[in-house]
Amino acid sequence: MNILPTTIARFLLAAALLTLAAGCGDTGSTPGAGSPEARAGEAGHAEDEGHAEHEDHDDEQEGDHAEHAEEEETGGPIRLTPEQLQAASITVSAAGPATIRESLPLYGVIAPNAERVREITPRFPGVIRSVSRRAGDPVRQGETLATVESNESLQTYALPAPLSGVVTARNANPGEQTGERVLFTVADLSTVWVDVALFPRDRSRVRVGQSVRVRSSETGQSAEGKVVYVAPFGSPSNQTLAARVLLDNADGRWAPGLYVTVDVTLAESAVSVAVRNEALQILDERTVVFAEVPDGFQPVPVETGRSDGEATEIVKGLKPGARYVAGNSFILKAELGKGEAEHEH
Amino acid sequence: MVDAFLRFAIARRWVVLFMVLVIAGVGAWSYQRLPIDAVPDITNVQVQINTSAPGYSPLEVEQRITYLVETAIAGLPAVEYTRSLSRYGLSQVTVVFADGTDIYFARNLINERLQQAKGQMPAGLEPGMGPIATGLGEIFMYSVDAEPGARQPNGQPYDATALRTLQDWVIRPQLRQVPGVTEVNTIGGYEKQFHVTPDPARLLAFGLTFHDVVEAIEKNNASVGAGYIERNGEQYLIRSPGQIADIAAIEQIIVTNRDGVPITIRDLAEVALGKQLRSGAATHDGKETVLGTAVMLVGENSRTVSAAVAAKLAEVAKTLPEGVIATTVYDRTVLVDKTIATVRNNLLEGAVLVVAVLLLMLGNVRAALLTAMVIPLSMLMLMTGMVATKVSANLMSLGALDFGLIVDGAVIIVENCILRLGERQHKLGRLLTLDERLNTVFNSTREVFTPSLVSVLVVILVNIPILALTGVEGKMFQPMAFAVIIALLAALVLSLTFVPAAVAIFLTGRIEEKENRIVQVARRSYAPVLDTALRLRVPVLAGAVAFVVLCGWLGTRLGSEFIPSLDEGDLAVQALRIPGTSLTQSLDMQFQLERALAEVPEVKTVFARVGTAEVATDPMPPNIADGYVMLKERAEWPDPGKTKAEVALDIEERLEAVPGNAFEISQPIQLRFNELISGVRSDLGVKVYGDDLAQLLATGNEIAEVLSGIPGAQGVKVEQVAGLPVLSVEPRRAALYRFGLNVADVQEVLAAATGGEEAGQIFEGDQRSALVVRLPEEVRGDLAALGRLAIPLPEGGYVPLGEVATLKLAPGPNQISRENGKRRLVVSANVRGRDLGGFVAEAQQKISEEIRLPSGYWLGYGGTFEQLQSATERLSLLVPVTLVLIFALLLVTFGSAKDAALVFSGVPLALTGGVIALWLRGIPLSITAGVGFITLCGVAVLTGVVMVSAFKDRLADGAGIDDAIRQGAMLRLRPILMVALVAALGFLPMALNTSTGAEVQRPLATVVIGGIISSTILTLLVLPGLYRMAWRTRPVPDPAGVVTGESVASHS
Repeated sequence: MNILPTTIARFLLAAALLTLAAGCGDTGSTPGAGSPEARAGEAGHAEDEGHAEHEDHDDEQEGDHAEHAEEEETGGPIRLTPEQLQAASITVSAAGPATIRESLPLYGVIAPNAERVREITPRFPGVIRSVSRRAGDPVRQGETLATVESNESLQTYALPAPLSGVVTARNANPGEQTGERVLFTVADLSTVWVDVALFPRDRSRVRVGQSVRVRSSETGQSAEGKVVYVAPFGSPSNQTLAARVLLDNADGRWAPGLYVTVDVTLAESAVSVAVRNEALQILDERTVVFAEVPDGFQPVPVETGRSDGEATEIVKGLKPGARYVAGNSFILKAELGKGEAEHEH
Repeated sequence: MVDAFLRFAIARRWVVLFMVLVIAGVGAWSYQRLPIDAVPDITNVQVQINTSAPGYSPLEVEQRITYLVETAIAGLPAVEYTRSLSRYGLSQVTVVFADGTDIYFARNLINERLQQAKGQMPAGLEPGMGPIATGLGEIFMYSVDAEPGARQPNGQPYDATALRTLQDWVIRPQLRQVPGVTEVNTIGGYEKQFHVTPDPARLLAFGLTFHDVVEAIEKNNASVGAGYIERNGEQYLIRSPGQIADIAAIEQIIVTNRDGVPITIRDLAEVALGKQLRSGAATHDGKETVLGTAVMLVGENSRTVSAAVAAKLAEVAKTLPEGVIATTVYDRTVLVDKTIATVRNNLLEGAVLVVAVLLLMLGNVRAALLTAMVIPLSMLMLMTGMVATKVSANLMSLGALDFGLIVDGAVIIVENCILRLGERQHKLGRLLTLDERLNTVFNSTREVFTPSLVSVLVVILVNIPILALTGVEGKMFQPMAFAVIIALLAALVLSLTFVPAAVAIFLTGRIEEKENRIVQVARRSYAPVLDTALRLRVPVLAGAVAFVVLCGWLGTRLGSEFIPSLDEGDLAVQALRIPGTSLTQSLDMQFQLERALAEVPEVKTVFARVGTAEVATDPMPPNIADGYVMLKERAEWPDPGKTKAEVALDIEERLEAVPGNAFEISQPIQLRFNELISGVRSDLGVKVYGDDLAQLLATGNEIAEVLSGIPGAQGVKVEQVAGLPVLSVEPRRAALYRFGLNVADVQEVLAAATGGEEAGQIFEGDQRSALVVRLPEEVRGDLAALGRLAIPLPEGGYVPLGEVATLKLAPGPNQISRENGKRRLVVSANVRGRDLGGFVAEAQQKISEEIRLPSGYWLGYGGTFEQLQSATERLSLLVPVTLVLIFALLLVTFGSAKDAALVFSGVPLALTGGVIALWLRGIPLSITAGVGFITLCGVAVLTGVVMVSAFKDRLADGAGIDDAIRQGAMLRLRPILMVALVAALGFLPMALNTSTGAEVQRPLATVVIGGIISSTILTLLVLPGLYRMAWRTRPVPDPAGVVTGESVASHS
């Protein structure tokens, strides 16, 4: 738009010269003031100069852009002073060996260890004479739970607890006829199962023997266990396979029936080069890490391998011990791309 | 008619004085009502239609909202064009109407059509129109901060949410009541929200869904009016209050009942005050803040409204809780007051100088004072005129006013009156009778009135091309041209009425005909120089011509600047980060910038808006921040002599050191204008219209390649459309089928989980806060966890999201721009080193040859070249017409083409001095400098007419040509010197001024001072010689002669 003033100026000037020529016309000495066209041509130059001046800023931005483009091509690093690094809270770490714990989070429900549950039925039907344990009472193996008088022999015999555990159900009161029914259930809750449903995607990744971290979102407690069973066949109704985790429950924290979160440790592998996850940035659809080079930082395309919540293995692109930007690496990405930042409506 | 006027003015002189007094009074009253703003308003007539659609991505916004609004608007009368912008969560359609359309009418039309569009939009979306304001509307900003250590009543420190609540429910409602305020916009902090965050594991455990939770809350949060009953003659109203009041009440809501056990919200979820998903934030001196902006209604007086808002805010601030402070961070009054002060100072100083010059030259106190009176009087009349014609008063229109020319006419008349009155007294040897005096005043006024009239008409004519400018340029400069014309007409009327009347009344007694020493010295030294100039007239003329040619060349060497940047006193720094930068990250980076800015010693305070405010008047994405840098008073600077440009450089240097930001430094109002006008700002913009974004981009890139290959192209850029990282969750239909799910089941869970679902509102008095159900933050923020998001199955159980949908992270459209109802992509280029017209023609030809557009795609061309074309067309017609008109005017005045041409020849001579002055001071050519040149045209014509008519009078009296020229020149030396001194000295303060507004006035004053000097010298030296050459033989006086000089006097 700064072309207009020169246009106006050009007209004014042309007009001025014309009139001067007119004013002098009668004297017969028409001065060689130059044709307006010639002037206009020169005004055109001025226009360009003015232009350049006016849009200085644009140029600067473009300049920036060009500079960066060049940097990317020629590999010129981003230079930052220590003060700048500090002001921008950019931290540098060394890529090194790390243990990557790949895990798979699943939902599960605590169930009693079915191998450690006993249902106690009277050997001979009869009348219950006494009951010595209530539901919830802990029992030891061999301890008497109740005494029953056999209908046939009229002998009173004791019903012992077949294993140490907790009375989880009692269906017996003195004087009752036992019939054939289950009088007690005793469960050993020192170990529990966590039943987990495996969805098709995860099926191949979970194997018996993998260790597992179980967490309860209600209480925040967590414990380690192992996968003890993966069902050989799936359920047609919900497209899942059942898997089972054995969990130590000596202190009784894991009550059967509760929902828990299960992190299956798929692999725990020591890798030689790993970076912190926040170091990874995506630049032009490639994953890069900003590596420290002698006079600055440079985006290095990397191939990532295994990854967990904290670190990612670098398969290709970084050498062990290479220093890279760990914290606030986005600032570098922003610095690299700032020439492209613009405000369009 | 002029005679009748004059006679009346002199005969009824007291009446005239009284009327002038009345007019002055009206002017003073108008001044109170005149909306004065700092800068001209260059906003077009536009209405923004904003639709907020939380959670919608750009593509969905475009498809489901923007398109509907655009379609509804299409075909409205007076619409110039529409443009739209679809961005995450926001659709903005801007409808630009033809200039002059009544904004209320336009809004009414739009409102009508919007109702239709609303019916087709997804439920719950409400399109609304932006505030009724222009780019000058943001007149007042304040921040709400807490002092360190201040505590809320509940013992918590004031956080962003608490401050926002105060702004929303205490400050804003009161400020909105201030007359003239159309909107109070808020950005920053968090709206208070109640968050219910169910634990996905617990929901699973109970076999419940998000939806169950939302439903339970909705069903337990309503008050119902149940009519009334009558009992024993009384009427009882019945209501059942059931609204939830606090967190405890929410927790107790029962979601379901399992085996007789009620499952409450508490069992499933955490309930707490939470943070909204906000689209913008504000910072103040490196800290987060809440920023309020009062927006002024169109057409109000910014000074009044801004002062009223400030007063109200001070009142409100007293009622704020202890420790919370509302600080004014931007107040337009400051700028406007500075502007007014500048104009007033110039006026005063100018007037004082004018009085001093007149005193020195005329040696008559009364005459000097009454001449100087013309300045304030014509200013007051100008105020009335501006109020009546709704011309805005600002730095440009008031600051560029030139009172030299205003007072020139009066100077010449008063000078001549004194001369003639003195002569008459001398001749009669006694004091004049009243009749004699009146008659002399009439005659002497009449004698020199023609030059005044002609010069004013010339200036008005020269202004015509400026009035013909359109668009932004027109809006910027037309008020200025109008103001000049009004002021000159006022001065003309005054010199026809007030001046003779006042002269007749006040110049009684003995008038010293004897000239004072200065004039005598001038006259004595002029005589020999004039003789020499007449003798050497050919070399002198040749020299003058050479000089003009030289200056013409010099003029083309000057830089040019079209829109002068008006100094607003403060700076705006727009920080731009790469697209996709998150709000939190952007805020962090803004803090870093502000800390760097705080180290600049001239900076008083810094504040910024990051992202979009509540009312999306400026829909910025979170990666952009509009920062305001308020500077200290100049006196407080370490080096008060530093220029603002230097400070800006300092700031730029500091900012440059902060990594990750690109920035543009401008000024607050300028920035706002840019945002609102926002067309293609480069020389050439090729717009590609079509449907498919990828195709648009491909075509755009091809065009960019073609453009880059054309010589002269520079900075070819393709508009950025992509770059926003988008996580697409694409449901897999086969998997859904296997699990018996619908797409909607998945989407609902996803939307509720990440975006949240509003389940109602909590009322606390007037205050209402949203009640939102959404996933806990730690789950929302984790991409892997999102893949694990449990989708409940119809028959119980769940399936993770990742099983039934594909999660893809890929850059997506950042925003979708449309124009006139179609998607559009702009390829822009600037042109260097060749003419724009030729470049555009070549570009158009090459593009049509080389670019094959798929069907359904088309191109449009825009950019500044359009303005250039239309302006060139207009000017190439108007400038010659103007010149012809001026010549015709002179022709009518003198009745001789030769005389007219002679007077006209003074114009280029006058311009030379202006060019040289600009060159000496290194000031670029600008429109205000152009106004200076216009003024010079007027002054040159004025002195030329005064001179030439004096020659003609002498000739008519029978003098020989040489005598006529010599006598005439000597006689007119004093008025010409006076006019020159008045204008030059009057402008001196302006030329040296550095206060606000100086940048407008400096070029003007510089041009006028330089031009007056050259014009005076050349008129005095070259014109006589030229006249002598033109009339080598004594001209035959034209009996039908034009009314000039004493011929008129003798007629009367």
